[in-house]
This record gives sequence, structure tokens and C-alpha cells, in this order.
Amino acid sequence: MSRVEAQPVLSIRLRVNGKDQAVRIPSYRTLLDCLRSDLGLTGSKEGCGVGVCGACTVLVDGKMISSCLYLAVMADGAEITTVEGLAADGRLHPVQQAFVDHGGFQCGICTPGQVVAAKALLDANPSPSEADIKDWMMGNLCRCTGYYQIIESIKHAAATSAAAGKPAAGGAAGRP
Amino acid sequence: MDFKVIGKPLGRVEGPEKVSGAARYAADQLPPGVIWGKAHRSPLPHARIVRIDTSKARAVPGVLAVLTAADLPDVLVGRVMFDMPVLARDRVRFIGEKVAVVAAEDPDVAEEAAALIEVEYEDLPALFDPIEAIREGAFRIHEDPASYANAPKEHRPSPNLQSVLRHKMGDPAKSFAQADHLFEHTFRTPRGHQGYLEPTASTVAVDADGMVHVWASNKMPFRLRDLLAHTLKLPADRIQVHLTPIGGDFGGKGSLMDTPLCYHLARATGRPVKMAMSYTEELMAGNPRHASVITIRSGVTRDGRLLARTARAIFDGGAYAAFKPVPHVNLIGANMVQGPYRIPNVAVESLCAYTNQVPCGHMRSPGDPQMIWAEEAHMDMVAGALGLDPAEFRRRNLLQEGDHLVDGHHVESVQALETLEAALTAADWAKPKPRPTVGRGLAMSLRHDGMGMCNARVTLEADGTVTLLTVTPDTGTGSHTIFAQIVAETLGVPASAVNVRVGDTRSFVTDSGTGGSRVTHVAGLAAQEAATQVRRQILDEAAAMLEANPDDLELREGRVVPRGGGPRRPSLADVASAAQRQGKAIDAAVRKEIGHYPPQFSFCAQVAEVEVDRETGQVRVLRVVTAHDVGTILNPIGFHGQINGGVIQGLGFGTMEELRLEEGRVTTLSLGDFKMPNILDIPALTTVLMEKPVGPGPFKAKSIGESSNVPLGAAIANAVADACGARITEAPITAEKVFFALQQKG
Amino acid sequence: MIPFEYRTPRTLDQALAHLREFGEDARPLAGGTALVLMMRQRLIRPACLVNIRGVAGLDRIEHANGTVEIGACATHRDVETSALVRARLPVLADTYHHVGTIRIRNVATVGGGLAHADPNQDAPVTLLALGARVRVRGPQGERQVALDDFFTDYYQTSLAAGELVAGVSVPVLGPRTGAAFLKFLPRTADDYGTVTAAASVTLDAAGERCEAARIALGCVGTTPVRAAAAEDLLRGQRLTDDLLRAAGDAANGGLDPIGDHRGSAAYKREMAAVFLGRAVRAAWARARASAADTR
Repeated sequence: MSRVEAQPVLSIRLRVNGKDQAVRIPSYRTLLDCLRSDLGLTGSKEGCGVGVCGACTVLVDGKMISSCLYLAVMADGAEITTVEGLAADGRLHPVQQAFVDHGGFQCGICTPGQVVAAKALLDANPSPSEADIKDWMMGNLCRCTGYYQIIESIKHAAATSAAAGKPAAGGAAGRP
Repeated sequence: MDFKVIGKPLGRVEGPEKVSGAARYAADQLPPGVIWGKAHRSPLPHARIVRIDTSKARAVPGVLAVLTAADLPDVLVGRVMFDMPVLARDRVRFIGEKVAVVAAEDPDVAEEAAALIEVEYEDLPALFDPIEAIREGAFRIHEDPASYANAPKEHRPSPNLQSVLRHKMGDPAKSFAQADHLFEHTFRTPRGHQGYLEPTASTVAVDADGMVHVWASNKMPFRLRDLLAHTLKLPADRIQVHLTPIGGDFGGKGSLMDTPLCYHLARATGRPVKMAMSYTEELMAGNPRHASVITIRSGVTRDGRLLARTARAIFDGGAYAAFKPVPHVNLIGANMVQGPYRIPNVAVESLCAYTNQVPCGHMRSPGDPQMIWAEEAHMDMVAGALGLDPAEFRRRNLLQEGDHLVDGHHVESVQALETLEAALTAADWAKPKPRPTVGRGLAMSLRHDGMGMCNARVTLEADGTVTLLTVTPDTGTGSHTIFAQIVAETLGVPASAVNVRVGDTRSFVTDSGTGGSRVTHVAGLAAQEAATQVRRQILDEAAAMLEANPDDLELREGRVVPRGGGPRRPSLADVASAAQRQGKAIDAAVRKEIGHYPPQFSFCAQVAEVEVDRETGQVRVLRVVTAHDVGTILNPIGFHGQINGGVIQGLGFGTMEELRLEEGRVTTLSLGDFKMPNILDIPALTTVLMEKPVGPGPFKAKSIGESSNVPLGAAIANAVADACGARITEAPITAEKVFFALQQKG
Repeated sequence: MIPFEYRTPRTLDQALAHLREFGEDARPLAGGTALVLMMRQRLIRPACLVNIRGVAGLDRIEHANGTVEIGACATHRDVETSALVRARLPVLADTYHHVGTIRIRNVATVGGGLAHADPNQDAPVTLLALGARVRVRGPQGERQVALDDFFTDYYQTSLAAGELVAGVSVPVLGPRTGAAFLKFLPRTADDYGTVTAAASVTLDAAGERCEAARIALGCVGTTPVRAAAAEDLLRGQRLTDDLLRAAGDAANGGLDPIGDHRGSAAYKREMAAVFLGRAVRAAWARARASAADTR
């Protein structure tokens, strides 16, 4: 009980969407709360709070993680990509554009997690089959779409990226 | 009809915000200085509160306020019936009921402090079974429900009844006596959570002028404002509810929830306060779908005609009636007793009971999934007993043009038979199944378009773009995009020229908000009518400019074009300037009020194809066909999106979703335990749409949002019975239930 | 959650020293998925978290002398995607693939999973069937524990105070041996199993009869269990439906499952028998293939 009074503050450095951030946080701060409250990046969402729904998905050093279960201190020194970091030069990432064009979202609350996960998929596997897509995305719940238009969106994003000649960006190896 | 914008697969107007994380939901609001609230909740299902000790919580550094009922006005709240306190006063009636609330600089500190509040209770007898609760002599959960504000007047045979709803048509008792066969079956469904991935949240800030600013995940902002005014004893015009996008509603986001507490904490601390429920709190104390026990009885002729049907539905409403928004404080789904069938004699008695469990509310097509789960399975069981193919039995009894429903409505533009046949054809109903372990099942339902009062204001801007002002909250259904398309079509401009501006509770006097299948219908018509008035104003102004007859002018591609040709084709910007030079604005506001359901109902027929592994009882849903008779499709992406999402909610209801309770305690307290379908669970889906411009909505549209989720559970139950003979009457259909049912059959 | 001390040792000795300093109030932190979850639920309130991911060499996956050595800080995803594991112990890669979602697997570690000792986990079941040994590091140095002796109760292991899981040693399959892992997910694809079963079957020289079998079951008790009675029944026998049925019944009889949201105790008992049979059948087929390969 007395430990609630003692509030040691830790200093960490995060590189978020390409920008260096120095943050001072209590030890118990999750990466999700740090992004949302300390850095004002409210794109990533708290959904289930137990790492199941995927609404809090961000990339840490290119790998997708549940930021609601990741302590901010664990990310000290890491490269973090959130939904806010997907667009470049004022243009939506192909995944984001595809979700807009093909109904990949409705209420939008799960969408940041979906597009971050889908971007990580295409980085690892630029031409995923439908089975690959489902396998990769099975950890991102959606209550609105029934998933069918999410699959379509990702397929279109892959085709668009292929047409644009985007190379695979490396990152977590996909399971062939 | 040759539409330019209607019917086109346009992406969402709010798309870029949602896919980039820029859209700010209620929990994303960060007014400067915002602090966090957290509730302390009852661990007991029914108890008197003897003493509350908040001293340890107050002593925690970073805690700025701790409130109990003693600090609040003594008011009861509810969406219609006011039977629930804001914080429990004297008594708790369900595990999870809020007893105290803490505000702190940091959400973790608030949560830790809330846990340090100590409450002394005295147990009271608790009731968990609605049937037990309504028995004579059961301990009263509420002293006198009839005395609560807005309590429905219908006599309650038991004090532990929230409400009773009865409908009757013809004379079922007499007709049963005349039937060749009588059948009666009983079915059960559990509580289920709406499963929106945005937990309920509110942020309240009181500004220097005393104006109360509210951001809440609530799809009826004007109702919220009015209920807050009542609860907080403030004039309504001191409360400004700002609309935010809502991360899924499905019926569950229409109540006050924590908003009054945010206000009280804001007043106590002088800071803006945010409260966001954890998902555990949602599962424990949201407002889930009512559990049900439904007994259905049918009287049929030997050639399979339905003469009479009755049903008794007992819904477990939980500890408070406060979450039900319809004046009868019951579920309209009770009227689904007759399904999509012509039955001359029908009666239903729907009892909503009090129990000491989490209070229930509305969830997509409220009451329909429960009643259709029972009714459509009952149809198959009757068909089986009569030796009739389930499709043929339905064919013989479908509603026809002008028929009546038990709640008094009559049905027009009936395409029930066409919808059924379309589903059967697409599902290869008549063809042999691929393997002996595969079964097929059929179920149907029907749905109305909603009613209410919605506003729209359309303005032609100086640059020729058009602004639509709406206060219809965006719960994800794509309504704002449809509004833009409606306005664009009416004014002959591309959808990109229409800006949808989301207002707040100062924008109009009042509005019904989102829900009840009213949005495309009522809010859509409001947008269309406002645009039509603006169209008239544009043509009149242009006619003056061109010295022409307004009836000889058209709007096309952003210009006024004379029908007979001619060199002068002023742009909308030109017209706006001309009007402005005369001090005129081109602008129209419409309040559209529709007080009844239109008679054009929609039918849905679904066939599920499943495979059963007899060794384990596991059911795999291989394929679903969903057929609908629809009006004009305003936006095919959004339209299919609503159907798809509904199908998967139906899948969840039928096969896995169950909010489980033990001794009044919810035991499925995370999404690790309360399971909803993921992307690997989805069956192959074939959607068949019969599009006919007969709807009551704009451009003859019909609503679609609360249809496809309804019959699938029953279709799967029927398919399982077809595959292996196991008849599961209690949702969800789990492998375990099928396994033991097969064992019992031997 | 409440505040805690946070340490980031660079060596195993430093890590052990931090743990010694706080005693029971300290927890090693690797992936944290289970730990942070329990802290958020206020089930545990450590005064100190010792992040061991910075300790060099703890995440290696290597092969030496017929044994695959997996460091405690290797993630589930590392094992799932490791070319080495997929070549030498594909059943293990397959098992780790079944755990949760990719997000969890990217972070949750092999050592953390073992130390957490949740009987509903997937990996321990296969590791048991493969005869794995746990490498434990403590103040006294390193010791090895057969996985059979590692789990003692619900969330309890035989780790002594101040000890850490340093890694797990898994023998590769011998000749004429096949192994399989099955996870029964009747509800949804992302769930704990209703039951899990793993089997390793070694055939005799003729490739006809079972020479040895190791069978493990999960989600059916307070720890994953070896189905010893079933193993005994298989020894020396040819594969028949009756044999598998008898083996299932033998296992079934010795189980005391706890009912949960994925199945009642009675159903888990029935399914344990069914999936034991299916796992043995699959392992047997792989053993036959392996025997055919080596002939």
C-alpha cells in the first residue's frame, strides 16, 4: 500500500514513427498508455486489455505486439510504429487506402490495429494467399465487418503494392 | 433508375480519419488537465450497504476526489424507466453495481485507490433464476416497480417483474382445439455482450462559464443531454453533448453509464474527468442481451398449415429495467413469435423479470435473435414431425401481401417466398450433400424499417460545395456516407462536393439519434428533403439569373443546365454568389418525424451448411447463404458490410457467445473467455439480394442493419439436427452439447 | 498497477543477484505477456521486475549432440520460424505456432512459458512427449530437471527461490520415431485448447509394433500429464482402433480435469481419450514414414 505513495519515475527513449521521444513515466505505465496519454498518439486503442483483440497493435522493431501488455520501459531504445506512422508525405499507406476503398472498416475502432497488422504482413509476405492473410490476422478481432471486406482490402493492398513495385521491407519472417 | 451517386461503391467520408488513427473517440478526448475516474463495484449480488469507508482511498497520493451516493442528488435514472441509482444507495442488487467512484491524476492510481475502498454489507437473499424470481413469495428485489417514474402501467403478476408485454390476434385457444396436431417446445438462450471493441467511455469538462461539455460513446446524444439534465438537476441548455465517432454500438451504447459520475467528479475536482470502462467491467456490468426461456406452441392442420401459435417468453432483465429504451420496457422481439408466417391466431406473453444479475439492455434486433432461435427451430421440429421438408412447410405458411402481424402491423411489398426460394437455390437445397457428416438448415426472419425524429441541414457554400449538418452519431454503419450520397444525387454534384459536418446538441432542438433501424429511413429522408428544398432554392435563383422557368432547368455535374440547351450554365458557386449579393442564403433545415413503422417489411432467409464430427461433437459451419429482399441499395460496400457483419454476429450467437454467470457472478470476464468469431472462424458466404425500389427510405431504400444477424443461430441448429440428429435447444451450440446429445441418442 | 523497481541485468549472475536482493518480491521479466496481465489484474504485485532480455546468449537456438537447445529468452515466434527447429523437430515448431496470436508469440518466451506453468499451455505438452529437460540456473550454478518433474501444481514449478529457467533441452527424434501435437479448438480458432495431446511413438526394427511411446495431455489437470497407463498399453502392440480406444480409456481413468469455459470435466475426460488416440495415430504414421525412410 505504501508503494502507491512511492512513485519512482523512469526516463526512457522511444523512437516513435521515426521521431525520437524522451518520456518520463511511472514504471507501471504500459506502452499503450504511454503512446496515448504521454505522447498524445490516441490512434492505438485499448480494447480488451488482455492482449486478445488487437486494437492496441503496434510494431516494436518491426514486430507486432500487444501494447496493452507491454511495459513502456520494455520498449526503451526501440523503434515503434503506430497507425499514425503509416502514411507518408501526406499519402495513405496502400493498406490504409485499400481499407477505405474496399470497406475494410466500419466503426473504425479496431482499424488502427488492423492496418498496422496488415502492413506488417505485407512487409513480411508481399503476396499473401487468403490462408496467409487469415493466419496472420487471426489475432485482430472486428465486430462490424465480419472480416470479409478486411480480407478483400488486404488482397487489394497487396496487388496495389505489387503493381507499384514495392519491395518487401524485411521484418518478421512470415510462415510460408 | 440511373443514379449518378446513389448505388456507387464510395469509400467512407470519414475513411482517412479512421484508417490513420486521427478519429477521436470518447476515450481519446484529452481536454487539458484531464484526470481519470474509476468505480468501486459491489462483490455481492444482493445486500444492504451498512457502511462505506473511503479513508484509505482518499489518502492515496494523486487521488483528488472520492464520491459515494451520499455525495450525489438522490435521483434514479434509466433510459425510460427510472429504477437505477447513479451510485448504489442503501442497497446493491448485482455483482458489479457501482458503489463509489474515485478520481485521480493517473488511471492506475484511480484503480488502486478504488480497490482500497472498504464497504460493509449485510447479505440479502439473491435470486438468479427468472422463473424462481417471479414465483409467488419470492424476495422482492425492488419494493414496488410500478412506483418508478415511467414504469409501464401493465399489471405485473409478480413484484419481480420489470414489465409484461402481451399481443394477441384472433383466438388461439379455440384454434388449438380445432387443430389436427399440437406441438410445444421450449428453448433457451444466454446473456450475450454486444462485443463492440470500444469499451464505453465518457469525458466531461465544465468550462469557466459553467457549460458542461460531454463526449460520450452514446448514440443518442440529445437523450443523453436530457437524462443528464434530469440526473444532475441542471437546465438542458447548460449541457453540450459533442458527437464523437462510436466504436461499435449494436444497441449497447444508449444509456447514461458513467457520464453523470464524470460530471460529479469534475465538479468536485475542478478538472475534466474521463472514465473508460475496462472490458472486464463491460462484461460484468455493461447492458448485455437478455437471456431467455421461450416456450412455443403451434396448432397445425395435417397438411401443414399453421392455424394458431402462442409463445411465453421469460426474459431475464437483471437487477434494473433502466437499460431498456422502449416505453413498454420489454423487448419488441416478442412479436417475432409468428416469424414470417401467416398465422390467423397468435398470442405472445413476454415477461421481463428482475434478478440479482447484471441488468440487460438492447442488442441488435432486440429480442429477435432469442425469439427466432426458438421459433425457427420449432418450425423444423414441427416439419419433421409432420414428415414435411422444412422448406416446404415454410412455403405453405409464408406471409402474403397485406397480412397482419400479431402486434397490429400489416405487411406490404411482401417478397417472402422469393427470398426463401433465392436462398434455397443458392444453397443447393435440393441437391445431395457432399458427405454424410454434412447437414443443411434453414431459418427465416423479417424486419421493419424504424421510426423516430431526425434532422438535417443542407447549405450551399460560396465556393459551390455543399455542407450537410447532421447530428446522427456515427456508430460505424456508414450513415454519413449515405447522407452525402443522397445530398449529392439530389443536387447533381459528386459526393466529394458534399461535406458532412457533425454537429452537437446545440445544432438542433432534439433528435432521436441512431438505432432502431431508423437512420437510413428517417435521417436519410431528412437529408433528402433538406437537399430537395435547397435544390428548389438553387433552381429559383438560377431561373432569375437566366430569366428562365425553374421547371426548365436541371442540376448536372455542379451546374444549372437548361433542358433545352443554351450557352449559360451557371455553376453552383455562381448561384451562391448571386444569392449572396441579394443577402440570401441557400440553405434548408428539415426535422423529419415518422411515428410508425412503415408497412414495407424485409425478409431474410438463411441456409447454413455444417459438418459434424460425431466423435467430438464439433460443428464446423462450412457455408452460409443469406438472401434478402432489399430496396434500392444506396452504397453496396456499406450494404454488404452490414450484411456480412450481421452474419458473423449470428454465427457468434449460434456457436460460441455466452456471458456465463455462476451465483450471479459473471465468470467470462475477458475476451479470453467470452469468445467472439475471428477471421479464421468465418464460413464461406454467399449473399443473394433481390433489389426492388419499394422501400420507404430515400430513393426507395430499405434498412438492412438488423436483419442478417437474426436467423443464423436457428439455421445452424437446424443444420446440426439434419447432420446428426442432435437437436440443441439451448444456445450456443457447443461441441460438448452435441457430443452428449449424440451419446444420449445412443 | 503499482510502482516497482525495474532492473536490466546484462549477465545471468547479475539477474540472480537482483532476484536474491528482493526475494519473493521480485519476478524475472522476459516477454511479460502473462506477468503484465496478472499485474494488471492485481493478482501479483512484485516490488521488482528483473528484465532478463538483455542477458546475452539467453535467446539462442542451437543443436548439439542430438539435442536442440533453446534459450529461455527465445520467443515462441523464434521457435516457430527457426529453420533449425523446423528441420530437426518440426512438431515443436508446429506446437509453438498454435500458441495465441503472432503478437503474443513475438513477445512471449519459452522460459517464461515454462516458469508460468499454466496447464492450459500448448508447448509443455509436446515438450513432455519429447522428453525435454529444463536447464535451471540458480545461485549454486546450473542443474537440469526432467520436464516430467518440473511442474508441480497449478502455476507452480519445482524452481527454488532465486532460480531461473535458463533454457530447455529437447532430444531430436530417434530412428523409426514420429511425433504429433493436436489442439482441440471446438469453439474458435484463438483459444486455449479444450484438450491438447502430444505423442511420440517409436516403432520396432520391423516397423510394425510400438517399441516405446511418450504421451502427454494438457488442459486436463493442474499440470500437463504423462499418460503413463496408455503408454504401457501401447508397448509391443500393433496399431488397431481397439488399441487406441483402450489407450484412451486407460488415460481417461487417471485424469481429474477441472471444468472451465472450454469444457466441463466430463467432456474433457472424453476428449482426452479421443485426442490421445488421434495424436498416437498421427505419430505412428510419421514413425512408419520415418522407418520407411531409413530402410
